[in-house]
Amino acid sequence: MAEERTIESILVADCGTVFTKLLLLESVEGGTAGQSYRFVAQAETLTTINPPWNDLTVGVVNALEELEQVTGRRLYGAGRLITPRHGLEGVDAFVVILSAPEPLSLVIAGLVREMSLESARRAASGTYTTIKTILSREGSLNSPQTTWSRTVRDIAPDVVLLVGGVDGGARRPVMELADAIALAASMLERDQRPVVLYAGNAELRPQITKLMGDITHVEVVDNVHPTVATEHLGPAQTALEQYYIDERMNAAPGAETLLAWSRLPLLPTATAFSRVVNYLCRREGNTDRGVLGIDVGAATTTVAASFEDRSYVTIYDKGIAYGPLEWVREHGAAPLLQWLPEEMEEEELLMLLHNRELRPWTVPQDPRELWVEQAVVREMLRSAVDMARPTWDAGKINAIPGMLPGVDPILISGGGLVHMPRPGQALLITLDSLQPTGISTILLDINRAAPALGAVAGLKPLAAASAMESGTLISLGTVISPVGKARPGEVVMKMRIVYQDGGSLNVEARYGDMEIWPLLPGQKATLELRPNRRFDVGLGLGRGGKVQAIGGLVGLVVDARGRPLVLPEDPDRRRRVLHGWIWDVGG
Amino acid sequence: MFIPYSVVNPLITVRIPRRLPRPGEVLVRLGETVEPARIVAQTVEPADFCIVDVARELNVPVKKVKAYLKVERGATVSEGDVLASRGGLGGQVARAPINGAIMGSGRGRLLLEAEPQTVQIAALVPGLVVEASATDGVVIESTGAFMQMGWGNGKEAFGVLRVVVRAPRHPIRTKHIDAAAQGAILVGGSHFDEETLEQAIAMQVRGIIVGGIPPSMIPRLEALEFPVVTTEGISMAPMSQAFFDLLRSLDGREVSVSGRMRHRWGTERPYVMVPMPARGAAPVNPETPLVVGSRVRVLRGPYTGASGVVSDIPKGLIQLETGARLPGVQVDLGGKEFVLVPFANLERLL
Repeated sequence: MAEERTIESILVADCGTVFTKLLLLESVEGGTAGQSYRFVAQAETLTTINPPWNDLTVGVVNALEELEQVTGRRLYGAGRLITPRHGLEGVDAFVVILSAPEPLSLVIAGLVREMSLESARRAASGTYTTIKTILSREGSLNSPQTTWSRTVRDIAPDVVLLVGGVDGGARRPVMELADAIALAASMLERDQRPVVLYAGNAELRPQITKLMGDITHVEVVDNVHPTVATEHLGPAQTALEQYYIDERMNAAPGAETLLAWSRLPLLPTATAFSRVVNYLCRREGNTDRGVLGIDVGAATTTVAASFEDRSYVTIYDKGIAYGPLEWVREHGAAPLLQWLPEEMEEEELLMLLHNRELRPWTVPQDPRELWVEQAVVREMLRSAVDMARPTWDAGKINAIPGMLPGVDPILISGGGLVHMPRPGQALLITLDSLQPTGISTILLDINRAAPALGAVAGLKPLAAASAMESGTLISLGTVISPVGKARPGEVVMKMRIVYQDGGSLNVEARYGDMEIWPLLPGQKATLELRPNRRFDVGLGLGRGGKVQAIGGLVGLVVDARGRPLVLPEDPDRRRRVLHGWIWDVGG
Repeated sequence: MFIPYSVVNPLITVRIPRRLPRPGEVLVRLGETVEPARIVAQTVEPADFCIVDVARELNVPVKKVKAYLKVERGATVSEGDVLASRGGLGGQVARAPINGAIMGSGRGRLLLEAEPQTVQIAALVPGLVVEASATDGVVIESTGAFMQMGWGNGKEAFGVLRVVVRAPRHPIRTKHIDAAAQGAILVGGSHFDEETLEQAIAMQVRGIIVGGIPPSMIPRLEALEFPVVTTEGISMAPMSQAFFDLLRSLDGREVSVSGRMRHRWGTERPYVMVPMPARGAAPVNPETPLVVGSRVRVLRGPYTGASGVVSDIPKGLIQLETGARLPGVQVDLGGKEFVLVPFANLERLL
């Protein structure tokens, strides 16, 4: 603890797939509040993990030089970061978070798609992985062992996650898969052979180890589906994350230098982000709402959720630059085109997506390209949450079937959302894709500092909490989303807004509309909600009540467009509606 | 912040890596001079294989399979050859599904491996071998005009450059591809269509360099035998003037074209190189700062592919058409057209 008290400046390097960002956190005298911390400067540059640089530190040093110009303070000298601090030079601590390294390439092999294979997929989504293929014998009488072996040999993945059979259950089909994997591994050069992570029928562990132990490294963990009714993902998730840290993060070019400068092990960005979501959950202390965090990056979308002190992280392997093309191959272009307020041919859309992948650091300059970017963010967000939702146990938290469980606040982060030209656009994208129900506050991580704060929390929790409370997360507004069915234009809720200064406003929410009422950042108001008997605002069907709301950059939003949100089928009408919504949130 | 760059330079010295896809054998020595067609390294691609489940095909227990085998480990077999048979009336046989050799046996099964394929890598550019590892490949130093491209179909070729359009906005049409196109690497302006591609294949062109191609043509182009590279990525926009002017000045010269690229992890950029009998040309300096007068290209709409020079670097933020406010520069696109472009959408031309 004595050491912790001496830390007055912390530098965080957040090395993403495209950008490397440095954030400098400093202790400031907080008067009666005592010591507190603020972000005082930041710098951003391209990540240099790939050619022509092949060294993460090149980007970090470049950003350090930029930070020196901004702060007028020397941070880098004699070929290294100056730490600990000497007078006005250097920083007390340096922490690094990483999502830049290539994800683990993974082949999943198992028996039943809805059981062990689905569990394996969920386990894999907790780490930066790319699932190259799934091997299963479902639907065929004979085991296609040649095909399995050829697939594994040709892909030469980093890891084969072998699952299948409840404990004490199926044996032969699992061993057939193991046989094929062993054969494939034996045909690869030793340094190309995949690690086999076995998380299947526990009774087969000795046979699996005996079969493959001489050929490749076999790691045995608890069965992901030990009984028909239970799922147990933790050990497989931990093993995959550790493998990612060892083989990707610590082995990244330049990581050794960064580790030498740092006081802490390198941390995956998603893990750091989820710490912030957990902190928010504990801070809010709500038992009837969870907390949701979304980080839309260039190559991945991270969903972190916390319900009743249980936390969940899902990493969807698509972001705004890398992944949309593959997404279109899986889902078609129509779901993206439907979000555009102007007509666009599929060919033009694909052209933009291709070039976004070729030049992921660029930003939309033309409004048409911005609409495409926003459509992509909506669908990546939606897909990421669809993937995450089955892993959540929301406990007693109110969840309308098929809808997002009650969450408040919703933290949005990542370049995909934070770089929107106007805050209302980030809010609209969030509402369109997540479709929250009841009452939620939307927090914008305007400096993309949330993962950095999560990393700082591991070093000095007080500093992270203090920085978070000092305006790092900005409220976009409080959103009330009544859920139910009505005719368009029908009044579904009456609301009285009672402002702190005593003024009040009586308003009505009509089905199909989205309205924004004034509530400035930091301003508080009491809302007296009276939904009609067929609508739920998170307090129970037809039940109203008084709730406190805090304003934000956009205001107080009543989203009565319906859940699920349905866009008009007629293209002209749909575009008019979309234009209207954009107009509603400030253009 | 780093501003990315593309090389589009009439005379520089470059180092071109020529790497094998997997460890193999390097066939040239350090310090050796090589010509474009010289094979510098080779490796063996993993062979096709198949597992023959003899026990199942003969319907006998695994332990008894050995008694029915007609081939031994290491034997060479042809497709249809009998591998094992169970005689007698209604007897069953297991036949070889591919040509190959018996590489393993066990648990009632045979492993057949086909003849492995040798993969060879040519020098592609003439020059001096300045790095040679024992198993991975070489690096060749060469001098000449060099251009980094935006997209490539993965293929490579060496041939004579032939500019077939007059302006960077002109697409290649069938009328541009006559008998003189045979064996040539064609330069067009903006793009080309399916019909033109058919004509190019029929006339046996050796490669195509254009501004862009539509996304719908990508699968077809990736299946071609010859390289297609674009300066502007996937686009219908005109070729950037800086690229077109340099290519036009090289009309008739021998050119090396590499369309090899990897997405996302590890960037190998497609390139066009026109070797020159010159010595002492300097390599590009990636540290060249962005200043007023720097040559740049715009990477995003509405000015995708436009090239010009930086005419001002404003101190504050610039307002984009989307409403965003970001740091950026003013670019003189020529013809008295000045546009504001954020740093994020700029590329230095070196």
